[in-house]
Amino acid sequence: MASSARAAPHAPRHADPRVAEPPTSPSETTGFLVGKHLRLGDNFWRAVAVFGIFSILGVIGFVVRLGDGMGETAAWGYYVAMFSFIITAASAAPMVAIAPRMANSHWRRPISRAAELWSVVGLLSLLWFIPILWILPPLSDGRRSLWFFDMNHPNLVPSYTPHIWASAAILGLVVTGLALVWVSCLPDFASIARRAPEGSFQRRWSLWMARGWQGTSRQWHMVKRRMGILGAFYFMMLVFVHFLISVDFLMTLVPGWIDALYPVTHAANALQAAAATMVLTAWILRTFCGYERYIGLDQIWGLGKLMFALSLLWFWFWFSSFNVLWYGKMPFEQAVIELLITGPYLWVFMAVFMLVFVIPLWTLVWNPVRHSLWGPPLIAVGILVGTFLDRIRLYVAAYSVPGIGNPSVHKHVLDFDHLPKTVMPDIWDIFIMLGAIGLIALVYMAASRLFPIMNMWEQRELQLYDRGHAPYHRAHVRVMGKSE
Amino acid sequence: MLAKKSVLGLFPEGQEDMAADALDALREEGYTHSEYEIITGTPYPEGTFGEEEPKHTLFRWPLMGAACGFVVGLVLTSGTQLAYPLVTGGKPVLSIPPMSIIIYEGTMLGAIIFTVIGIVIESRLPRLFMGAYDERITEGYIGVAVTTDQDRVGKAEEVLKQVGAEEVKRGWES
Repeated sequence: MASSARAAPHAPRHADPRVAEPPTSPSETTGFLVGKHLRLGDNFWRAVAVFGIFSILGVIGFVVRLGDGMGETAAWGYYVAMFSFIITAASAAPMVAIAPRMANSHWRRPISRAAELWSVVGLLSLLWFIPILWILPPLSDGRRSLWFFDMNHPNLVPSYTPHIWASAAILGLVVTGLALVWVSCLPDFASIARRAPEGSFQRRWSLWMARGWQGTSRQWHMVKRRMGILGAFYFMMLVFVHFLISVDFLMTLVPGWIDALYPVTHAANALQAAAATMVLTAWILRTFCGYERYIGLDQIWGLGKLMFALSLLWFWFWFSSFNVLWYGKMPFEQAVIELLITGPYLWVFMAVFMLVFVIPLWTLVWNPVRHSLWGPPLIAVGILVGTFLDRIRLYVAAYSVPGIGNPSVHKHVLDFDHLPKTVMPDIWDIFIMLGAIGLIALVYMAASRLFPIMNMWEQRELQLYDRGHAPYHRAHVRVMGKSE
Repeated sequence: MLAKKSVLGLFPEGQEDMAADALDALREEGYTHSEYEIITGTPYPEGTFGEEEPKHTLFRWPLMGAACGFVVGLVLTSGTQLAYPLVTGGKPVLSIPPMSIIIYEGTMLGAIIFTVIGIVIESRLPRLFMGAYDERITEGYIGVAVTTDQDRVGKAEEVLKQVGAEEVKRGWES
């Protein structure tokens, strides 16, 4: 009567160290993962030290820049570019958990929480965004926008409309992301509360966050449905935030840059960067954080394929926009191409083109590279550097256009003969860029102390469906079930 | 009205069939699905223990929020445009494309806010009155909890023991 329905112990045919072989019992899984969550290794503190220094430099750079005032938009181009990089590379990363979960795939389980955790970095983007509300001039400077602002009737449409709606949208995205992480962590908080030392902060925090979680059928039902709903909302808000930021905080600053495709391009680039962020995160967790029993070739390979597909998409989007401007060949369209691609930022564009398209295409196309533990992370670094440069190319160029904020300057046409020169970063810009990288990493690491970085209950759930290795005709296969 | 009491039968990891038998036995003794529930540390596929699929009204919250947000967005955009009729570029005063941006954002924000509120309310978190519970459930144990009238709790305890629960313990009283 009491026969076990659990999977038989694994009997792996081969011992490939690249393939993750997680524990096979729920108690072992919980014990191992709670233990990992409660203990901090030396690597953690080394990383805190490095990124802490970066962050301090960033704060110094910001304060010095602030001392010069906010009137000169060209001086703030790198700062705004870093904001865009944060919402591109970090805030989009939860999509790597959301989309495969909806598709009911098993390979994403060890990395799904690590991906969701990136939504906590949204708090940094919210904070980083506040000064930009002062940097971006109101619509009364006469630039074209979506908002039907009329210079002749400046009181009819609020001049700060872009600021208001973008703030609300970013806030919505951050709240959705935090709610998603919390709902996802509820069962794990109950597990941590049981095993954390009596009286410790981790125990008190987990007990409070678990909100009396027990694990009734109703609660499990709620968690799964809520995660689906919140995931869908996160995606919808993410695309919308990219739409608003790319239009109001980028395109409208460049007279003549009229491109209906670009807002979607901005979001699609974020998905590519998100895949790269997660490849790198998974590799770091495996290599430096002791999660090699959970994260292996399956995860790196799966993400690598995603990254490959999104790299092709980058070219498709870029070429579609470029073609319209290039064929149109109106003077202002030529000026836009010159400013953003062939002119003062040509070398940056070339680097971007190589790093986010050519190199991923011609490396990930080869199986030995794609199906390895070292290939996709290496390409991911390139894609992140490329995305970083791409945001600099666009935002720094846009914020250097003369006349931003000055109503007396005509803003419907960009003058080809008077394009701004390349704005090279000064020492404070470099500090701000280092600060952005440092703060992204620090916030993520802090989040990993509050929320377990590995989803324990999804790992235990996997064990219900994993029937281990079995012979299949003359081959061996791993038998996995799926809920219907 | 009689006071309610709860009792919990614990089944070790791997004894899913025994826990399912416990639910069958409880049903045979006349306990209804509102009186017993299965508690696990892992989300088993729905129906693994022969339990009824939980009824939920989760969809109502985002739908209500989205409807409120949509109305607010619509009223805000059309109201302001009608209050200050401004013809821009020959477009109608009430132009759908620019209105849809605000309406979309209002709808999304309404849905998100109501969903977060709904999560707290629908999931009954925080649980103010904890039923019978054992922390070993987070380690893989399966719990069958029965919350029923005081005079029927003894029988439930007996059923759980008969089926083979490793341990049976009492919970809170109300």
